[in-house]
Amino acid sequence: MDVTRREFLKCAAASSALMAIGGPLAFAATEQPVDKWVKGVCRFCGTGCGVMVGVKNKQAVTVKGDPNNHNGGFLCLKGALMTPIIYAKERLTQPLIRKNGELVEASWDEALDLTASKFKDAIKKDGPRSVAYYGSGQALTEETYLASKIFKAGLKSNNVEGNPRLCMASAVGGYVTTYGKDEPCGSFSDIDAATCFFLIGTNTSECHPILFKRIAARKQSDPNVKVIVVDPRKTNTARIADIHVGFVPGTDLAIMNAMAYVIIQEELDDYRFHSRYVSFMDNKKNKLTFEDYKKFLEDYTPEKAEKLSGVPAATIRKIAMIFAESSATMSLWCMGLNQRIRGVWANNLVSNLHLLTGQIGKPGATPFSLTGQPNACGGVRDTGGLSHLLPAGRLIKKKKHRNEVEFLWGMEPDSLNPKPGYHTIALFDALGKGKVKALLILCTNPAQSLPNVNKYREAMARKDNFIAVIECFRDAETLKFADVVFPAAFWCEREGVYGCSERRYALIGKAIDPPGQARPSVNILVDLAKRIGVDPKLVPFKDSSDIWEEWRRVAKSTPYNFWGITRDRLRKESGILWPCPTEDHPGTEIRYVRGKDPNIPKDYPKKYDFYGKPDHRAVIWFRPYKGAAEEPDKEYPFVLTTGRVIDHWHTGTMTMKVPELRRSFPKAYVEINDKDAKKMGIQNGDNVLLTTRRDKMVFQARVSDVCRPGLVFVPWFDVNLMINKLTKDAFDPGSKQPEFKICATKVSKV
Amino acid sequence: MISFSSVWFRWGKWFIILPLVLIAILGVIFFIYVNLAFPETRCEFVTHLESPDAAADCFECHLKCTPKIAQDWYESKHGVILVKCFVCHGQPDGKGSVPYAVDPDVDGTCRKCHDPSINRMEHLYGLELNCNKCHPFHQNSLHHKAYVKPIAKKKIE
Repeated sequence: MDVTRREFLKCAAASSALMAIGGPLAFAATEQPVDKWVKGVCRFCGTGCGVMVGVKNKQAVTVKGDPNNHNGGFLCLKGALMTPIIYAKERLTQPLIRKNGELVEASWDEALDLTASKFKDAIKKDGPRSVAYYGSGQALTEETYLASKIFKAGLKSNNVEGNPRLCMASAVGGYVTTYGKDEPCGSFSDIDAATCFFLIGTNTSECHPILFKRIAARKQSDPNVKVIVVDPRKTNTARIADIHVGFVPGTDLAIMNAMAYVIIQEELDDYRFHSRYVSFMDNKKNKLTFEDYKKFLEDYTPEKAEKLSGVPAATIRKIAMIFAESSATMSLWCMGLNQRIRGVWANNLVSNLHLLTGQIGKPGATPFSLTGQPNACGGVRDTGGLSHLLPAGRLIKKKKHRNEVEFLWGMEPDSLNPKPGYHTIALFDALGKGKVKALLILCTNPAQSLPNVNKYREAMARKDNFIAVIECFRDAETLKFADVVFPAAFWCEREGVYGCSERRYALIGKAIDPPGQARPSVNILVDLAKRIGVDPKLVPFKDSSDIWEEWRRVAKSTPYNFWGITRDRLRKESGILWPCPTEDHPGTEIRYVRGKDPNIPKDYPKKYDFYGKPDHRAVIWFRPYKGAAEEPDKEYPFVLTTGRVIDHWHTGTMTMKVPELRRSFPKAYVEINDKDAKKMGIQNGDNVLLTTRRDKMVFQARVSDVCRPGLVFVPWFDVNLMINKLTKDAFDPGSKQPEFKICATKVSKV
Repeated sequence: MISFSSVWFRWGKWFIILPLVLIAILGVIFFIYVNLAFPETRCEFVTHLESPDAAADCFECHLKCTPKIAQDWYESKHGVILVKCFVCHGQPDGKGSVPYAVDPDVDGTCRKCHDPSINRMEHLYGLELNCNKCHPFHQNSLHHKAYVKPIAKKKIE
C-alpha cells in the first residue's frame, strides 16, 4: 500500500486523537483477540460451569463462560483466572523414576516397563488383592471407567478406589438407601423455581459460587423467597439468609428430627403423598408405620433438641414451618453432612423432610446434594469407580449384576472377583501393613488430602511398596512418595467428559497440545494395561471417544440410560442431563415422576414411581441422633472443623499457580470466635497452637464472629500447614467416608 | 509603599506552611477516624510493589484507605458473590493473570462473564469502551432490580 507522508501524518493525528477521546471507534479498531473458542467445562468444583477456552497461536490465552451451559456465561473467580495453571513452570513434561531417593528423568518405555513389572510381580507373589488403583473425582469419566475395567476385569482386583470416598460416599449411601438409586432427583434448574432454600452443611457461596449467585438472583427476583442457612459457621452464604441457624457441631441430626416432629405436630405433612409413595423403616430395616414414626419422633421435641444443639426451640419450629409451608422447598447440602461418621443418616434425614411434606418431584422442590469435585458424579459414582461398585449402579456383591457386566465386557461368566476391595482408609491401612504392594494413583493428592495424614504418609513411605503416580504438577505432595511419575495432559489438552452434580454430562474439548512428552491419561492407562498383560480385547481403545461409546452401551439397559448422549451431541451441545434414552431426547430434569422421567412408562398408573426400590416406595428412615467420633472434652475443649476458602481449591496444586489467588490467601490460618479469643487474649494475627490427639501445629489467628464459640476452622489447601495431620480418620460404618468435619482440639496462644 | 516582594518576603512562607499544616492535621484526623470506625481491621502498611506476595486480601486494607470504594464493593452484587478485587483489577505489580487496570478492559476482563450482555448492549446501543460509565460496578447492589428487568433477559441471536 502506498502511503504518502502527508496521509501518514493525517492518519497518525487522527488515531492519536481517537485514542485520546476514547470511545467506540477506537475500540472497534482493536484486532480479534483469539483465533478460536473451544467449549469445555471448568476444572474446579462440582458446579460444572461451562467454560470456553480462547486459543491464539496454539496457546490458551483466556477463558470465558459458556452462555449455553447452565451457568449462563458466568464464572467465579477461580474459573475466570484459570489460564496461568496450564503454563505453570511446575508442569511435568517427562516421566520420572526414583533412583537413589531422587526422582530422575526417564523415557516412557523405562517408566511403563518398570511399573508393569512391579504390578506383575505383586500379583504373582501376593495375588490380585495386593495391587490397587486410587483415582479421583477430577479424572475424566473415560479415565475412571477404563481404570476400573483394567483392575476389575483385567487384573481381577476390586481394589479400585478414589477420593470421592472422602467427599461423596455418604451422599451415595443416602440416595441409595432412601430412593434405591444414586444421584439427585432434581437439577440446578430447580433453583429458579424454588421459594424456600434450606442450606445445611454447605458454604455454597465459597464452594459453589455460581450456584450461590443463582440462589441470590432467585432471592432478588422474588422478595418472598426464603433462605435458611443451617451451619455452625456464619459464612458468606449466610449474608443472603433470612434465618441463620448456628448449632453445636454434630447435632444437626437431632435438629432435623425435631423439624420432622414439628411438621407432623402442626399437620403440615402431606399424608396423601407419604401414604402412597413412602414406606417407613427403622435401622434394622423393619417395615413400620407412620404411627411408629410419630412415636420415634417423641424423643426429638424442639425443647429436647434445643438442649443438645443450642438452637432455640422457637427457631426450630419456625424453620420447620417455613420448610413445610413454602410452595417449593429445595434443600442443598454438601460436606457438612457427608464428611461425618453418620453421614448417610444425615443424608437420609434431609430426604425424610422432603418425603414427609411431599416437597419432591415438583419444579423447585427437591433434595439436592452438592458435589465437591467436577466429575465425582459422572466419573466415579456412575462408572462404578469404587471398590464395591460396577458400572451404572451395579454392585459387585450381586451375582446378577456381575454376570451382566461380564457379558457386556465379553468375559467368561463368573470370572469377576466377587469380593469387594478395600475402601480408601482400609486401602492405605493395608498399604501400611504391607498387604497392598503396588498402587497406581491418578489425578489426586492423598499425601495431603487423607485424614490423620501422618499415619498414611508413613504407609506410603514404606520402602517395600511401589507407588506410580499419573500427575500434572511436580510440586504435588504425593510425588514425594512416588517411585514412578507419569506426566499427564491437563484439562483442555485432551478431550473427555465431565459429569457434574446435577447428572449433566458435558464435553471438555481439546484446545491445545500437552507440553513436552505429557500424554493423555487414557493412553497411559491403555499402554500400561497391555504391558502388565491385560487381555488386549478388554482395552481396544485408541482415545477417550472409543471408551465413551462402550460406556454408553454398558449403561444402556440400566436406569442410568444415556444412550442418546452421543459424542457428536456432546460436541454440539453444552451438556445434557441423563437419563437420555434416545438421540432426540432433551435430557431429564426431574426423576421419579411420570411424564418427566423416561424410565417410567407413560401409562404408569401413579404419578410418582421410585423404581429403585422393589416396592416402588421411597423410605423414611428412623435415624436416631448420634454424636461425633471425637466430642470435645475437658482436655480438648474446642471443635476443629476444616473446609475451603473461595480462592483455593483442594490441595492448592492448581490455585497456588495463579498469582492473584496465591496472594489472596498465601497460607492457612485458624478462624476463632471473637469471644473465645478475648478470653484467651488472642488478637488478629497472633500465633495460635492447635493440638489434637494426633499432632499439633501453629497457625495465625483470624478473629471474627464467623465461627460460633467453641469452634475453630482451618482451611485445608496449604501444603506447608497441612491441617489433615490433625484431623481424625474415624469413618461412617455405612459409606466408609471419614469424619473430616469434627474432631476435638486444644487452642493456646504462643 | 509596600512592595509585593516585601509582602511575599515577610508572609509568603505562611502561604505554604499553613496549608501543609492544615493537610497534616486533616490527615491525622482521618487516620484516627478510620482507626476508630473500623477497629477490627489492622492496617499492615504493606506497600504493593515492595512485597506483593505479602499483600494478602486487598479488601482488608482498602476498607481503611478507600473505605467508600471498599464498602460499595462489599454491598454490590460482586461483593455478595465474592468476585474479589483482583478478578477485575489484576495485581498492582502487573504480574497477575489479568492486566492491572483501574477500569477493567472490556474484552480481556468483562467478557469472561458478561459476554452475552456485552453483545446485547452492542446490538442495542453500539459498543462503549468502558462498561463502568453506565454500570458503576461498585454500586450495583443486590437489592436493585437489574436481574428482573426485562431487558436483562432479552437474548440476541
